[in-house]
Amino acid sequence: MRSAARNTPDHGTGAGSGDAVTEEPDIGEHPESPGEQTIAFRPIRDDEPPPEPASDPSGSRGRPSAPSDGSVADAAEDAIEDGEQDAEDAADADNAEDLEVSEHREDDSEGAEDAEHAEHAEDDENADEAENVEDAGNAEDADDDGVRSFPMPEPVSAALTEALNQLRTAVKGLHFGLDVPGAEEARKAQAAVLAQLDDYVIPRVHMSTAPALIAVAGSTGAGKSTIVNSLAGGKVSATGVRRPTTATPVIVCHPGDHEWYARGDLLGGLERLEEPRRDAPPGSVVLTSSPSLPRGLALLDTPDIDSVVEEHHEIAHRMLDAADLWVFVTTASRYADAPSWGLLRRAKERGARLVIVLSRVPPKSREVVVKHFGRMLNEYGLGEVERFVINETSVQDGRLPEIEIADLRMWLSALSVDDERREAAVKATLNGVLNSFRTRLPALARHLETQVALRADLRSDVDAAYMGALARIDEATRDGSLLRGEVLARWQDFAGSGDLMRTLQLRRGAKGHQQGPERVRGLKAALRAGLEALVNSAVQQAAEEAVARWRQRAGAGDRLAATPGLGRPSEEIVRRTTRTITAWQDHVTELIRTEGVTKRSVAKLISFDVESLSLIFMIGLLGYGATDAPAGAGAGALPQRLLRGLLGAESLRNISAKARSDLRARVGLLFDEETLRYVDALDSAGIPDEAAATRLYQATYNLEVAR
Amino acid sequence: MTAVSTAETQHGLGSRLAALAKIVELGQGRLDPALLTEAAQLLLRAGDRLKLSSDHTVVALAGGTGSGKSSLFNAVSGLELSPIGVRRPTTARTHACVWGIDGAGPLLDWLQIQWRHRFARASALDKGESQLHGLILLDLPDHDSIRALTDHEAHRLIQVADLIVWVLDPQKYADASVHRRYVTELTGHDAVTVFVLNQSDRLTPEEQAECVADLEDLLRREGVTHPRVVATSATTGKGVDSLKAVLAESVAARRAAYQRLEADLDRLVLRLVKDVPELLRVEPTVDGARRAGLVDALCDAIGVSALGEALENVYAVRSGDWVGWPYARWAARLRPDPLKSLRLGAVKDDVRGLVASAVTAQPAEVDNAVQALADGLTGGMPEVWRDGVREAARSRADELPEALSEELSEVAPPLDRVPAWWWLLKIWQYLLVVMFVASLAWAGAILAYGVFKAGRPPAEVLGDVAVLPWVGLMMISVLGLGLFSAMASRNFVVLAAGKERDRLEHDMRRRVGVLAQDMVVQPVERELNRYNEFFGAMAAARR
Repeated sequence: MRSAARNTPDHGTGAGSGDAVTEEPDIGEHPESPGEQTIAFRPIRDDEPPPEPASDPSGSRGRPSAPSDGSVADAAEDAIEDGEQDAEDAADADNAEDLEVSEHREDDSEGAEDAEHAEHAEDDENADEAENVEDAGNAEDADDDGVRSFPMPEPVSAALTEALNQLRTAVKGLHFGLDVPGAEEARKAQAAVLAQLDDYVIPRVHMSTAPALIAVAGSTGAGKSTIVNSLAGGKVSATGVRRPTTATPVIVCHPGDHEWYARGDLLGGLERLEEPRRDAPPGSVVLTSSPSLPRGLALLDTPDIDSVVEEHHEIAHRMLDAADLWVFVTTASRYADAPSWGLLRRAKERGARLVIVLSRVPPKSREVVVKHFGRMLNEYGLGEVERFVINETSVQDGRLPEIEIADLRMWLSALSVDDERREAAVKATLNGVLNSFRTRLPALARHLETQVALRADLRSDVDAAYMGALARIDEATRDGSLLRGEVLARWQDFAGSGDLMRTLQLRRGAKGHQQGPERVRGLKAALRAGLEALVNSAVQQAAEEAVARWRQRAGAGDRLAATPGLGRPSEEIVRRTTRTITAWQDHVTELIRTEGVTKRSVAKLISFDVESLSLIFMIGLLGYGATDAPAGAGAGALPQRLLRGLLGAESLRNISAKARSDLRARVGLLFDEETLRYVDALDSAGIPDEAAATRLYQATYNLEVAR
Repeated sequence: MTAVSTAETQHGLGSRLAALAKIVELGQGRLDPALLTEAAQLLLRAGDRLKLSSDHTVVALAGGTGSGKSSLFNAVSGLELSPIGVRRPTTARTHACVWGIDGAGPLLDWLQIQWRHRFARASALDKGESQLHGLILLDLPDHDSIRALTDHEAHRLIQVADLIVWVLDPQKYADASVHRRYVTELTGHDAVTVFVLNQSDRLTPEEQAECVADLEDLLRREGVTHPRVVATSATTGKGVDSLKAVLAESVAARRAAYQRLEADLDRLVLRLVKDVPELLRVEPTVDGARRAGLVDALCDAIGVSALGEALENVYAVRSGDWVGWPYARWAARLRPDPLKSLRLGAVKDDVRGLVASAVTAQPAEVDNAVQALADGLTGGMPEVWRDGVREAARSRADELPEALSEELSEVAPPLDRVPAWWWLLKIWQYLLVVMFVASLAWAGAILAYGVFKAGRPPAEVLGDVAVLPWVGLMMISVLGLGLFSAMASRNFVVLAAGKERDRLEHDMRRRVGVLAQDMVVQPVERELNRYNEFFGAMAAARR
């Protein structure tokens, strides 16, 4: 494998990890500080991809001290690493010298990149003074992070990261407040996308070939934990007859990768636990290591996807979203279950790399079952997927006999060793996820648009209802229906008893009106009551109509319409109406006083009582509603004729227009306060940001461009 | 389980189902349509099931694929009736095995079991199995495989079977597909549900105990208060006898069908009641105070009291033209009229026309009055029913203003009416005027002939000066009489108007009351009765 390998026979195994990409730098051997090395070697790394073993044979000559120090370091590694890589040793050994050199370079440049290496550098310097072995041990640990996580080429990574961050903000900014059909799904999809971005995509884009995470997923009781235990060669995940068994996901990795996982780029939002606990908080993951696992890979034991504990399904799906490869475990009695096929569909949709394990197969029916399952997979378009079959055997100590999982272990080792293959798998899954964003994100955006549109609809429903009410009031004050009932009786009283005539007095000898004002007051009160009744009835109708309209809107409107009190006018509407109408009456009186300049010819002869005259005016305006009647003599009703005679047609028209628009404005204001209740109800469901959908589309597009 | 208790159960169930039928009938448009549909389906199913053989108990073996339903079916029946296999899913069609085929045919038809999948076991031939007589054992297809996504046979039969045996196995006893979809949904069905942990031969005794305990815990958490769990193994035959014993008990009691329907009913009623947290009975009639309130409000909408006042005032004013002292009227005419100077001469005619216009009701106020009544009545009622009462109150609100106007126009006199006695008084006044003029002429004649000796008087009285004081006295008294009778008759007018007002208001109130009763109160009371009936039925269905 490298020159040092020849010095110490075991060396190749230790450093090996078999992949051309991941080299073991021997930090301890460098007397210089890592910073200097970085400056010296960085350009080379940038120009050509580092994992070319044959790239720099001269490098080793540049560092004569390497072999001796390296051997010490490697020897230390050997203590940690186990011998599983034996198969690769021979091949590695050939390239060993070349590899050695490129490792140095790699390590150095890494050192500059990686914050981890800062401490590591200190360790280095200390190490020069301290024992070599210990130093090498440190180096080993640090290597595992540095070596295995290759950042992508800067510009690509930067653009992608930028695009992904933008996407993340855009997704996070979505808010589905209205409970329309599909909102719940959209919320879940949003959470899933966010979790996947944080847990997987963003860290994965940074280090595309860092240790791969293999999720073991499947039904409850399928034996996921048993398989993980067997592969890990120890009891890392609880097994048992109780269903569901696993509640907290468990990551098992090679001890060398432990720190990388502990640091938490992948699944960064989850709390790491040392060992499974009963009271493990949701959103945590158990991280343990086992030397039986090959390097560069970690197994993730997930909770089930179909047990009664529904939180498990969520966790399992989140885990799957963060995994590079899926190992789908099902059993002979379960392989036709609907949830299992739901998971396979999901894998297909996400474009995730998949391996299927059919476990617990009774040996005597193995052939039939395997064939049948194979046919089903073929029909489903998953015939190409790699499959493993595990017989039903007795489980010892939560582990299967080694013979049963030999194939699976082989496959794992191959993946661990064959860098290209692993990288291809990781890339495929990452690409699959990014591809899936093409449909998942626009679906989210579309749903948001639905929400925005629905909100606008609901809003316009309210407006329409109250506009209708305003129109009804308008109509009632024009068609004479106001001049009915008590208003009419009082008006008859007022006019018939001669008070009408008495409001007008000849100027000479005029000294206030003698008649009791009670009839004026009675008429005024009746008119006010009539108007109030009109407004109140309109408000009532509008409230009912608004709610009825909302009820017709699917889902959300219904829920909102059930908000107590929306179906009827607000409590204080009566008081407000009274205030509004009184204010309007006062305003009209004021108008008559200030603008109703009497015709000069008339003013010489007649004085009139403003209060009564404004009352007559209101009756004329609302009761007869014929302000727009032709102004010809004799036309129009009594009040108009009287007023026209007193004030002149022009002045009367002005005042009428002003008074009417003032009434409309005041009632409109009243209605606005009423509609506010509906707007509040709408807002309580959250205000969807209309631009969020656009931002999301843009972010999705940017991501495509950046890829 | 005696025949008596069965009959009682049946009777209780019958009346509860009748109540449910009532709920479905009255609840249209008031309850969640989905719930109503479900209730209607339950009624239909209950009707069908109760008509069919009560001697048979339909027991369904249900469970996920691969749990061993068919194996268990074969083990219980003792025959290889249902094919078993390792491919999943195995069973696609329901198989039935009947102990005592007599009378089971229609029931099997109703269950839609195909002829070729029906098997009979004459219990007489099997010694020791007579206790299973009347059992119809169904081997259902699974409900959780990908095939079940499109085939709802299992789901259908699980809904209609009398007793459900859930066949679970150690691998998938905690699957959501069983628990979420059925067990949780069928809480309260303890009496008609049995859980079987099949394939127990795969577990060690300790594991089995742990497994059963875990399953029982799980079931209790889901609301099954007394889970009946039987561990069996169809392959070794262990536990099959216990299962048979459980089945035999149910079959012998012949009550599973009722219990199942009762449990379904309980559950449905619980859901119905959930929407209506409080069962409140309301007073089915509109009490006197509210009625009076409504009439008052409607009278206000017509302006009854204002009309009365107007009547008094207008009559008093107008009577001046008829019964007043003519001299005063003439004097008033001499005063300058402001209207004349405005050249608005026709105003008086307008006023007269206005006064002549008839009584009408204000629609908005009528609306509000009706609304207020409905709101006052429905204090503690659920929202949908409040709306119902409101709708009922308004059912004829559109016609109400019109009807009120018409009805009252009949009684309310036009304000420009002229009573006959006004004419008499007017004639009397003019007679007095004529008398005054005559007296004046007489006095003039006496002055001319008697005092100034202008000539020979045509008659002696015309020239007799001594009569002159008497003539003067007569003139004064004629004037005084006019004035006095004008004042008196004005008082009479006011008095009569007051009386008429009282009569009118009374009359109007009465008529408004009648209309309100017809057009508002009655529909409201009908709705209130419906509400009470509904909740009566709800209480009855509740048991």
